[in-house]
Amino acid sequence: MRAVMIRIGHATLAAAALSFAWPLAAQQAAPAQVTPQDLRDGLKNPTRWITYGGDYGNHRNSPLTQITPANVNRLTAQWQFQTDTLGKFEAAPLVLDGVVYVTGPLDTGWAIDARTGRQIWRYRRDLPQGLIACCGLVNRGFGVLGDRLFKTTLDAHVVAISRKTGAIEWDTPMENFRHGYSGTTAPLVVKDKVIVGVAGAEYGVRGFIDAYDAQTGKQAWRFYTTAGPEDPGHGTWRGTDAKAWEHGGGSIWVPGAYDPELNLVYWGTGNAGPDYNGLEREGDNLYTASIVALDADTGKLRWHYQFTPHDIWDYDSTQMPVLADITIGGEPRPSTGSGRTEPAEVRKVVLFANRNGFFYVLDRATGKLIRGKPFIQTTWAKEIRADGRPMLLPNSVPSDEGTKVCPDQSGGTNWMPPSYDPSLGLFFVTARESCGIFFTWKDDYNPGDAFRGGAVQRMGETQFSALRAIDVATGERRWEFPYTAQSWAGVLSTASGLVFAGGSGNVMAFDAKTGKNLWHFQSGSSLYAGAITYMVDDKQYVLMPAGTTLTAFALAEF
Amino acid sequence: MRRAPAAVLILTMIGSTFASAQDPARADARPTKNPLEGNAFAIGNGRAMFRNRCAGCHGPDARGYLGPDLTAFWNAGGTDDRMFDIVRRGVPGTEMIGADAQRVLDKEIWQVLAYIRTLSAVPPPSPTGDVASGERIFRTNCSSCHVVNGRGGQLGPDLSRIGSARPRAGLLAKVRGTTAFTRPGYEAVTLVTRSGDRIRGVRKNEDEFSVQIMDTRERLQGYLKANLAEYTTDKQSLMPVYGPDRLGDKDVDDLLRYLTSLRGTQATRSSSQHE
Repeated sequence: MRAVMIRIGHATLAAAALSFAWPLAAQQAAPAQVTPQDLRDGLKNPTRWITYGGDYGNHRNSPLTQITPANVNRLTAQWQFQTDTLGKFEAAPLVLDGVVYVTGPLDTGWAIDARTGRQIWRYRRDLPQGLIACCGLVNRGFGVLGDRLFKTTLDAHVVAISRKTGAIEWDTPMENFRHGYSGTTAPLVVKDKVIVGVAGAEYGVRGFIDAYDAQTGKQAWRFYTTAGPEDPGHGTWRGTDAKAWEHGGGSIWVPGAYDPELNLVYWGTGNAGPDYNGLEREGDNLYTASIVALDADTGKLRWHYQFTPHDIWDYDSTQMPVLADITIGGEPRPSTGSGRTEPAEVRKVVLFANRNGFFYVLDRATGKLIRGKPFIQTTWAKEIRADGRPMLLPNSVPSDEGTKVCPDQSGGTNWMPPSYDPSLGLFFVTARESCGIFFTWKDDYNPGDAFRGGAVQRMGETQFSALRAIDVATGERRWEFPYTAQSWAGVLSTASGLVFAGGSGNVMAFDAKTGKNLWHFQSGSSLYAGAITYMVDDKQYVLMPAGTTLTAFALAEF
Repeated sequence: MRRAPAAVLILTMIGSTFASAQDPARADARPTKNPLEGNAFAIGNGRAMFRNRCAGCHGPDARGYLGPDLTAFWNAGGTDDRMFDIVRRGVPGTEMIGADAQRVLDKEIWQVLAYIRTLSAVPPPSPTGDVASGERIFRTNCSSCHVVNGRGGQLGPDLSRIGSARPRAGLLAKVRGTTAFTRPGYEAVTLVTRSGDRIRGVRKNEDEFSVQIMDTRERLQGYLKANLAEYTTDKQSLMPVYGPDRLGDKDVDDLLRYLTSLRGTQATRSSSQHE
């Protein structure tokens, strides 16, 4: 029996609801080619979602307004897509021209009809035996340019895939996966380059950020995240192991941001290795647990800011950087301590909610700290000094007896992306409150073997998480919604004043101004990714990955 | 004969999955005797690893708390090889999970074993108490809430294999009520409905909007938090405290002898693996 689908159009309603004037004809245009300008435009065309963070600034804040705080209680599941694999989604799906492109666990990917959830093609990499990936055989999504998709692979390659067929168009190895290198980050596509990096700081890799030519797959540049002998930062690797920098970590596994005007890409870098034993790597260990600003064309370092100098707590800084233009001042500046009121000025900044528990505001042209404030309870550092360094607290060094430190090694937040609503000046983040007992021992580096130098016991009784709204002008918490258990859900916000996140398998919508929970749907699995939103046939969808299922929601049609 | 290859194939697959988790050459070459026994560096590292990964259940002195006393293992005829396998593969039906080969190297297991071996000088006290008497005490006091080998109530955990999961000291603490530990899924809760009904039970699951319980009449039921006037997690477990006034030392001794003897029937072993 053939089902006949009758669509009840509500184009008039939609057009009235949309505050922008995107020509509807553009949605129906012939096969869309994604241009570098499209990527720069990001969510200016809000019907689609073509980078991990929605736009180069990673706001994950959609201009779509069909779904509002007033009608969100009518949100209902339209379709579900199941991967038929083990594992979980940690990806941001991309949506373009009525098609969802998403990567799944175990190096899989799909093109899916955005209206119905029906599969169009499936990609699956034939993975070699003996993969080494500490923290789940996951992937965080595709990048797109022209009619190609790009992704990193668990065996540490970068591949280009035809958007039409799912077939491989080029396949370039980044590093030897047998030595602990793997690829899980979504690519950041800038101009004609696909920018990626490697995971594996738990195995003593030497992290790097790579750019590849989108046409040919040829490597264009590489930036190592541990400073070698030729690098000015090399003196920050001292201690008993002269080769510590060669297996010093600094992995890259969550995509960065791009500022087209400054032509800089911004990437957060992973923990120093071995994770919990710093004896053999005295010094700050640049450029681990940092944010680096690189020239997008050459990969040359423009500036760096290290969030956690000499990291011994596994505080990767691989969170998604958010670029914003915000008004600072017109209020006493805490960093000067003078109580003097500074004139208000608009600053180009990076907003960064770090795994180490602090929320940072940095000048994105210079990397200078504007403000760093804890957004959870921290016991390794009390505050960030005006010179940008953390004021360390005593009794926070991992030991062989065990040392209690908050947050635990999973941190104040993690890979789950936050969102930023510029109209409210609010940054929404899934925050984790936790403490752990940090132990250390000596590990010898051996390529491909775990290289952690210790481990952490979680303290279950201290753990909970919450969705928190941080006022970016002050760094103060505006509201929070506490979850019953730890949440790993990313965040999406919309211009209609909604925030989508969740916990305990519940996909939830909140009022962005107050944090009031307005709607929820039990998805049946934990959430390890963030929702995205798109519009097709004048209908706004919210697409949420949960476990190995995608669920698309839209307003019920009465 | 036609069936046999399938079974062989499954075994081969399990074997190869296990081996392929790490370098096959190294897995084949694994010694049966701890190559690091007595090695001072290994013992030092092993102590830190033990405190981190094992002490939470087996106690800081390895004499057992939630998990069994490990110091008695070699004296009771255990071998390095056997202990290595237990650490690597875990014990089905208990909280003891296997050590993921990607996270925990062979070397690290040997280091931990080298440390535990240094604690094994003192032989454990020989068990006391009477099993038959202990079983009678169990039937009178405990079996309304605990199953052993298919008989008993469901409000508390199945104890059919408790002897291989808990040492005597841990069981004693539970019976006498000197530990706050409650196994996840058995935390006591009290619900008060909007109509004033008061319901006690153990929590099976919970999220932001609902809670799922087994009430004291063994009814499984979910409740929407929005429909409850009150919802509290109780500090005290639903299990009564058996102080000396309720159960004398001799009776407790017999009961513990019975409980520590419980290693499960074949049937409970296979069913417990489905948990």
